[in-house]
Amino acid sequence: MKKLLFAGLLLLGFSSALAQATITFWVRDSDQGFVEPLVKAYNAKGGTQVKLTVIPAGQFVTKFATAVAGGSAPDVVAIDLIYVPSFAAADQMTDLTDLAKALPYAKTLSPSHVRLAIYEGKQYAVPFSAEGSVLIYNKDLFKKAGLDPNKPPKNFAELEDYAKKITALGGDIKGYYFSGACAGCNAFTFLPLIWASGGDVLSADGKSATVNTPAVKDALALYRRMWQAGLIPAGAKADTGTNFLTAFTTGRIGMAGSGAFSIGTLKRDYPKVDFGIAPLPGKNGGSSSFAGGDSIGIPKGSKNVQAAWEFIKWCLEEDVQVQQFAKNGSIPVRSDLAENEYSKLDPRFVVPAKAMATGKTPYSVKYNELFNDANGPWLAMIQEAVFGRGVDEAVAKAQESFTKILNSK
Amino acid sequence: MSPAQSARSPAVPRRRLGARHWAGLLFVVPSLIFVAVFFLVPLLMTVWMSLHNWPLLGKYSFVGLENYQNLLSDDTFWSSLGFTTKYTLLVTPMIFVVAYALALLVNRAARWVGIFRTIYFLPVVIGLGTSSLLWVWLFNDQVGILQTVLYRLSLVSEPAMGSSGTALAAVLVSVVWKTVGFTMILLLVGMQAIPDELYEAAKIDGASPWQSQRFITVPLLRRTFALALILSVIGSYLAFDQFYIMTGGGPNNSTITVVYWIYRASFTYFKLGYGSALSLILMLILTAISIVQLLVLREERR
Repeated sequence: MKKLLFAGLLLLGFSSALAQATITFWVRDSDQGFVEPLVKAYNAKGGTQVKLTVIPAGQFVTKFATAVAGGSAPDVVAIDLIYVPSFAAADQMTDLTDLAKALPYAKTLSPSHVRLAIYEGKQYAVPFSAEGSVLIYNKDLFKKAGLDPNKPPKNFAELEDYAKKITALGGDIKGYYFSGACAGCNAFTFLPLIWASGGDVLSADGKSATVNTPAVKDALALYRRMWQAGLIPAGAKADTGTNFLTAFTTGRIGMAGSGAFSIGTLKRDYPKVDFGIAPLPGKNGGSSSFAGGDSIGIPKGSKNVQAAWEFIKWCLEEDVQVQQFAKNGSIPVRSDLAENEYSKLDPRFVVPAKAMATGKTPYSVKYNELFNDANGPWLAMIQEAVFGRGVDEAVAKAQESFTKILNSK
Repeated sequence: MSPAQSARSPAVPRRRLGARHWAGLLFVVPSLIFVAVFFLVPLLMTVWMSLHNWPLLGKYSFVGLENYQNLLSDDTFWSSLGFTTKYTLLVTPMIFVVAYALALLVNRAARWVGIFRTIYFLPVVIGLGTSSLLWVWLFNDQVGILQTVLYRLSLVSEPAMGSSGTALAAVLVSVVWKTVGFTMILLLVGMQAIPDELYEAAKIDGASPWQSQRFITVPLLRRTFALALILSVIGSYLAFDQFYIMTGGGPNNSTITVVYWIYRASFTYFKLGYGSALSLILMLILTAISIVQLLVLREERR
């Protein structure tokens, strides 16, 4: 008995010696759902153990900066992809250029993630999770309004026309919804309308503003017309994002911009809402998507770069992408895996997955100030254009504020 | 004290007092340490940071007084200061009037009065963040009870947070609800400290209830008013949670308070140095306001 116990202890000692090290891994809370099982699976393999810390999304940057300043940065971080340029510019991330290039599936990785991970020619992160914006629409309301539930709008004219027909059903029913006081929501769902129409708010290098352009004005004018015609609920004006999806779940909204995340939520919590998923359209057809999600990288100061990279590589393996990410309602970040056994169960997942491949993301070290700030120029422009004085004043002012921020240190 | 002791005392006092002095200092040391660690050191660090370009991430560099120069031409700062002043001027009298009325109501020996005191005080014990969230949902356009009632009564046609006037009104209502109990308790304690004899004498002299209030309660509550006023003004100038949560600074950036702007400078723009400069200026302004208030009220006490 004693011998057995001793042998057991010896074995324990051995395995912990084999389990080289523990690496720390930080993610934002919105990823919690699929990251917890992911880390569990990795730790169950034996070997390096990953210690996961989940941080509220709003506090992530602050916490991370504090940790870096205090010399206790985690070994691995998964961050909102839009922050990678500013993290890289601040010299906080390990250069992964060569490691990333050596990946056999490097070419299939979400191009938007990769583009944002590159700063001054070097790559500082690889894609981790994907979240593409789409148009969700209520099939029941489509049917009631005499529309074909399998033919979502393909351009602005159709979108407006369908919204009119659905609003005409009367009662509380409205054709369209957007969170009029939510900066991030509109970066996610309104920018694609501009991109799909062939325009953009930033130049290709992300260093100058192109707000005062026809494509931006057209998209804003569409929203303004729909607002003034009463096709959008009055509450949209003040919605800071709390009703971003809630409004649609009531079953009284015809169409709304949303993200892949809503598919899982709607299926799980609102099984009565019969919804469809379509790409966000452009003025004369075409489509686009905000390719969002998280990128994963190694902060400077990590004591275990080798083990950290092993973990990152594992996350991108086919088996893990499908059996972890896709299975738990996320989209794979490899285009070769957009269609997989889980997307076949619900083809609605394919729309955002495919959109990821062609989707765009603004590249700017000032992203937070420009787009995410609830009191910044992006939201101010939408409010002024849709609810306020009008499109022309709004874009002129936004062009000025964008330029000012882009030129500041 | 025995005669022997008092006879001996003149010989000892200096040494005794000295020992007492040190003992006294020892007793104060713990709080001094707290003040040093949690106020003086952070304050000095804030001063130090305000002289730098100090990004949240990356390296900082010395810029001298540049942050303070930028502050002078910062429109958002001045408009946020104006808005905070407006908010303070509105919310303080509102809290006072309601708290005074409530204090009068519960300042009696009736049955159940304890229950009402508790009910009025209850919102004070929940956090401001929590209460703000509660009101966000009450005013929610889709599911909020209050918003629905307002719609049904045709008092509004838009969500409360949709225009700057109603958004501010909604915040005012929530803050009064949340803090009025505290001021009520302060006033109640003050009222109960006034001797009954004064009211009896006034009654005998034929004073009406209104005259009792006007010439006894209000003048004798002056010190309580001073305390409540300073607490309310400082609290209102530091307003952040309620606006951050309820209005998000909107609509159209019309409800941004000074602390909100400091928060944005520091954690949206990642300019900690500038945020520090703003904080120091706000501290100076608040100190000045408090000094003025104290001087004015001291004058009045004579």
